[in-house]
Amino acid sequence: MEFLTLLSPELFLFVIAGVIVGIVFGAIPGMTATMAVAVCLPLTYSLDMVNGLGLLLGLYVGGISGGLVPAILLNIPGTPSSITTTFDGYPMTQKGEGEKALKTGITSSLFGGLLSVFILFFFTPVLSDFAIKFSYIEKFLIILFALSVIASLSKKSMLVGIFSGVLGIWFSLIGTYDISVGGNGETRLMFGFMEYYLESGFSLLPVLIGLFGLGTILEEAEKGVKDEVQSVDGASLAVGTSRTRKFSFRVFKGQFVNLFRSGLIGTFVGMLPGVGGSAASVLSYTQQKNFSKDPSKLGKGAVEGVIASESANNGLTGGALVPLLSLGIPGDSTTAVLIGAFTLQGLQVGPLFIAENTGIWHSMVIALLAANFVMFLIMFFAIKYIAKVVTVPKYLLYPIIIMMCVVGAYAINYGIMFDVWTLLLFGVLGYVGSKFGIEVAPFIIGFILGKSAEVYFVKSLESFGSLTIFFTKSPIAVFLWILILTSVCYSIYSSNKKSSISS
Amino acid sequence: MGDTVLSFFAVNIDFDQSHLFFPRIIMCLLLLLFAAIVVLYGRAFFQDIRAGRRRLRFFEENYDKIRLFGTIVGVIVYFVLMDYVGTLFPNTGLGFLLVSIPFMMFLSFLYVHDLNRRKTVIILLNSTIAPVTAWYILGNLFNITLP
Repeated sequence: MEFLTLLSPELFLFVIAGVIVGIVFGAIPGMTATMAVAVCLPLTYSLDMVNGLGLLLGLYVGGISGGLVPAILLNIPGTPSSITTTFDGYPMTQKGEGEKALKTGITSSLFGGLLSVFILFFFTPVLSDFAIKFSYIEKFLIILFALSVIASLSKKSMLVGIFSGVLGIWFSLIGTYDISVGGNGETRLMFGFMEYYLESGFSLLPVLIGLFGLGTILEEAEKGVKDEVQSVDGASLAVGTSRTRKFSFRVFKGQFVNLFRSGLIGTFVGMLPGVGGSAASVLSYTQQKNFSKDPSKLGKGAVEGVIASESANNGLTGGALVPLLSLGIPGDSTTAVLIGAFTLQGLQVGPLFIAENTGIWHSMVIALLAANFVMFLIMFFAIKYIAKVVTVPKYLLYPIIIMMCVVGAYAINYGIMFDVWTLLLFGVLGYVGSKFGIEVAPFIIGFILGKSAEVYFVKSLESFGSLTIFFTKSPIAVFLWILILTSVCYSIYSSNKKSSISS
Repeated sequence: MGDTVLSFFAVNIDFDQSHLFFPRIIMCLLLLLFAAIVVLYGRAFFQDIRAGRRRLRFFEENYDKIRLFGTIVGVIVYFVLMDYVGTLFPNTGLGFLLVSIPFMMFLSFLYVHDLNRRKTVIILLNSTIAPVTAWYILGNLFNITLP
């Protein structure tokens, strides 16, 4: 019960603040939960670990949940993970059931979120205990597995997904081969004049803030920074007028299986490294379509569609934290930013995290539970006001975001201007890269794991002297190879299926 | 026989050069993957171009030149000036504050559509209040280092 001393009223205030800001970010199309966490990171520099995490977890839960508001009211997903919410949510709004759709979505979000927290709480310690026994070889294979999963589920093609991941690794290797992990202290992948700036490589946070903050804004700038919301007439925003049909919890009658299955799917997809929210909600939506008594209703304003989508995308939040806290591998791009927050506080995430920081781990679970309930209460009772948030114009928001990005990048290493230029470099790289089909999620995972992958790989070879050790070290190594092969085969199978359908 | 197979997999890493071992593998992988992408998708890609189904266009159709390049140039000028002004008033965060206000005004006016008097007032207020708040809360209350 030692964690009780870590819980303070402030923690809950930070959670509430995080949820509110998160919902705002989530509700505004073009701004995501990842962006919310990245932009608000500098606020945690001076907080202690628990309060900082409370704020960030609140942002995460709020950001994922807020996406349903514009999805239902305007047919624009506020975050990528609420794409499938638009399929049935918007038709419901057109039928005058906007409020019903919103409240159904909010309640499903709460359920999915809570389910995933329970799974997180019981499953992570088990996985950690298992992972503690891993040597460098198994750890390297885990990273290989993570990259193969990301690649096999990537949107366009597996090869491009792997390429993005390997490119991320390449960028992470720039700098010194660190003596503290057994390297020889030499710099590589750069010219002499860069050594002064890049001695310790690119810092993670400016890279993240650049890709998710500035990169997104550049993409919007190319499109002319139009506010989609203005083109929609105000009537659809008027939630809760007397003419709309009221919501009651009876809509969940007969939907419990759907709610539960979607939450589980969301949590499971969240656990897969680097696979974000849109995959979770798309998968559970298609499952609901398969199992539905009347599949033809889906897509035309069926409550079950909203339930499936929203329960799944909130299930993601707990799920994505499982690999982060047990293996040190982020489950999605938002948890990748959370790694930054941990390193900032000098904490190493990985198999030892829970054993060494039991208090923080318990406070995190409490903060996540609190964030889900706060999200529910705020959204359920203040939905009318939140619905107005989507009309806040971007010409006011984007300058604020760039300003916050600068603060975050500059302050991370206590005032190094080079980090601000890193932010710009990766903002532009993210924008240009997306034009060539480079995917951000695998890139980031590769960037985060690249340095560890090098150490695990090179040190294993140095001590065993043969490549065969990666296959023969232990049964776990063999099992991991089977997993890697499975994910590669799955992706080849699914891409063949796709091309045979299209031709 | 078994020994020759095993010796094929044997690796000896020279410690002095070990910093280049993994990066070289990664570079080879990148080249291989790139080659594979070109071989697998290259032909279809060029066929699409020849048939006019796809065009070699980097920017979107009718992309917003002024807003896109304005943002990039604005951000560069913002960073350079912030650094410069910051050295005039070291350790006060004033470089950040004094340069952020005009930068935010510039960006808001760049992004806004159908400017009118009400919007102008809101922009002016927003781009003054936001940096001052950030400077005060982050820099002074939270002691975060600002340029």
